[in-house]
Amino acid sequence: MKSMWAAVRQWAGRSWTDLKASTDASLLTALRFVGLLYGRIDHRLPIGQSFRKALRYRLSRHAGWKHALGGITYLLLIMLVVTGVLLSFYYRPSAEEAYASIQHIVSGARLGWLMRGLHLWAANLIVVAALAHMARVFFGAAYKPPRETNWLVGLLLLFTVLAFGATGYLLPWDQGAYWTVTEGLDVTARTPIVGGLLASILRGDPIVSGATLSRFFAFHVIVLPWVALGLLGLHFGLVRKHGIAPPAGADDDAGSEAPRDDPEGVPFYPNHLMRSLAVAVVVVAIAATAAAVYPRPVGAPADPSRPPEVLMSTWIVADVSRALVYYTDGWGPAALALLGLLLALLPLFDRRPERALRRRPVMAGLGAIFLAAVIVAWVAGWRLRFEPVSASGELTPYQQQPAVAQPGQPLPQLPLPSGAPDQPGAVPDSAGGGA
Amino acid sequence: MSRSGRRVTLAVLVLAAAPGTLRAAPALAPRQVVQSADTLNGCLSCHAEQRRAATEGVHAQQGVTCTTCHGGNPRARALPEAHTGRFIGAPGKEATAQLCGSCHSDPGRMREYGLPTGQLAEFRASRHGQLLLGQHDQNAPTCTDCHGTHIIYPPYDARSRVYPMNIPGTCAACHSDGDLMRGYQLPTDQLDQFRQSAHGVALFQQQNFAAPTCASCHGAHSELPPTVTEIANVCGQCHALVEQQFGKGPHGAAARAGDMEGCLGCHSNHGTERVPIDSTSATCDNCHAADTRLHQMGVDLQRRLTQARSDMESAQRALQTLSVAGERTGDYRFSYQSALTYYGQIAQKQHSLDLDTLDYLNARVRSVSVELDARAEASNESDWEHKLLLLPVWFLTLSAVALAWLLLRALSGAGGRADEPEA
Repeated sequence: MKSMWAAVRQWAGRSWTDLKASTDASLLTALRFVGLLYGRIDHRLPIGQSFRKALRYRLSRHAGWKHALGGITYLLLIMLVVTGVLLSFYYRPSAEEAYASIQHIVSGARLGWLMRGLHLWAANLIVVAALAHMARVFFGAAYKPPRETNWLVGLLLLFTVLAFGATGYLLPWDQGAYWTVTEGLDVTARTPIVGGLLASILRGDPIVSGATLSRFFAFHVIVLPWVALGLLGLHFGLVRKHGIAPPAGADDDAGSEAPRDDPEGVPFYPNHLMRSLAVAVVVVAIAATAAAVYPRPVGAPADPSRPPEVLMSTWIVADVSRALVYYTDGWGPAALALLGLLLALLPLFDRRPERALRRRPVMAGLGAIFLAAVIVAWVAGWRLRFEPVSASGELTPYQQQPAVAQPGQPLPQLPLPSGAPDQPGAVPDSAGGGA
Repeated sequence: MSRSGRRVTLAVLVLAAAPGTLRAAPALAPRQVVQSADTLNGCLSCHAEQRRAATEGVHAQQGVTCTTCHGGNPRARALPEAHTGRFIGAPGKEATAQLCGSCHSDPGRMREYGLPTGQLAEFRASRHGQLLLGQHDQNAPTCTDCHGTHIIYPPYDARSRVYPMNIPGTCAACHSDGDLMRGYQLPTDQLDQFRQSAHGVALFQQQNFAAPTCASCHGAHSELPPTVTEIANVCGQCHALVEQQFGKGPHGAAARAGDMEGCLGCHSNHGTERVPIDSTSATCDNCHAADTRLHQMGVDLQRRLTQARSDMESAQRALQTLSVAGERTGDYRFSYQSALTYYGQIAQKQHSLDLDTLDYLNARVRSVSVELDARAEASNESDWEHKLLLLPVWFLTLSAVALAWLLLRALSGAGGRADEPEA
């Protein structure tokens, strides 16, 4: 008893000594209090020291709020991983159980609705964040040598994110998911040379079925996470190696390689960490707000024998492509896609040292045109969504808002007094795919 | 036996079998008689325009040839030999009915085809038959006017004029002809009404062959309009449960006494349709004066029907809400299904005008609707609770941002950055 008391006193005394000896009192002390990690172990392994070094790391003094975009993208990815793991505790990747497990997640599991909502909204926001991050790098000339490799890695990461979205889209196994993926695979199959093979590998069956669901699930939770992890490691490693790019307005001859540990720079802790914290909590709160205010409705279960009357991809893509098809008659989408591809690939070949925007009129012009075209088409498509164009003043099905839940299998029509609802038996069959 | 010897035997056997095989093949081919009739029948050497009749249609298939009906000598290739024997030429309308009946009224002949034999007797009793055979009215139709003359298809053949979907058009060929019908004081709008009616929509648009055509209510060969007291029975052949309820009530008694045109009291005959719920009471007012007890009964009836409809709609909305919110709706759908059954029963039971039964059924519908509404309400409330969670989320978020901002401001106040936080 006495020896134990002595041991405790000894430990407390050493901790206090460590505390007083510490220069980074606040955070490191907090970490030290959490566990014994930095006590005895710290004396043998220089963990505390490396932490201290990392916290004291000075970033370029140009690092500002706009550099948070990449961090936001990363934060959203972490959110996707965490909520995705929680969802996978309940989700069952089979055609028989997928829909019912989504129902259970949304209405049965504790906070399941929040996990699904956060996962869904983070998946949407990460695309916006990644594109914003790319735009910052593009207009800020941060891709110039020696950082062009990282632009390439970033592009691959963007495609990985999009692949995550495409594979995750099927998993709810409702009508929208089923038929959107059917359409997508049909389009894939029309790609010259490799399309047919690729589509049949992804589909795994003559039609989208349980085999397809298994494949998409495997890609979504096994293949793509490892790809993303590898690419992220490369991306961050290159950022650490090259440092933050010099500002756009800096002298062109200022040298592309920023000093490793700029003595004039801003320390990571607390300045940059506080800034990141503020941004991070706001992003999480926005995602949570979207999840609570705009919950994704649970559609009718997938029915391979009955295509829905209206099939529309969600989100901005639908509006942009609608406006382009409506006003430019087909060449618009192709032109915009080509311009986007050009913009994505140009940085790999742009080796001139100029950084200021006005010294790069071609790049700035093309970028501005692309940005303006997307925004204009988006707004136009959004307006088109509600505007009747047919002679009879009716909205075409293509223009109508997608119905929230398509009626499931209609029940046989029973003799009803007229004036009853059009199809009294047509009720969403939510138990159809259920257990 | 040597190998070559065996080979020779085999060849001989094959050669011996070959002619037999060749002879057997034509004998097995179907419709041999019909095909030969095309070339052997001498009638066709002059009447070439009837060539198709020798091969097509149910009569040609069964070996009924020109001479079976018209008589004459099919072996002759020219007049006058061809028109000898029991030759009758083209029979008149009345003779045609008798001619068809000579086979089709004979049970001995029709047995093998499973056909009824009462058509001619029915025709005699029908309005068409009375006109043609009784009054020798040449405007009245005979067998061939509806079934076709030389090429007669069975009723299940879509080319037949008496194929279910073709029957209304076949009847309308005469009955839409205003000049022809004026002489009989008959209306000509039956087909137009029928197309709009529930029966016509089912037949023409949904291709539902259980739907009645003209002949289903008027009779095929014994066609006559149903009389006042027959109407409920005619409709009741299909609408059995409605007829049962109708017969129980005061309207049924009135119809049996001939005081009311049965179903036609409220519904149309050719333009059959449901009476819209919202004009139920107005329909009652067609017969019952506005300030009577029976008018009030119509108002009460309409109120119950309206109530049931709004309950069903509300149950449907609730089910939609629950489904979209991801609830497992299997049990609710089961309840809804039972409400749908009660709702369907209301449609039948209202014909008995028994308001107490309607009250009972209404209560059953309502109990389901109330239950589903409560579930949907609970689901909406949990939505609201989800939004409440945003209060602490944003409180913590704004606190963290404010803290970070204060700290950053303090740091910038201390010379732009904090090199070493004080220990």
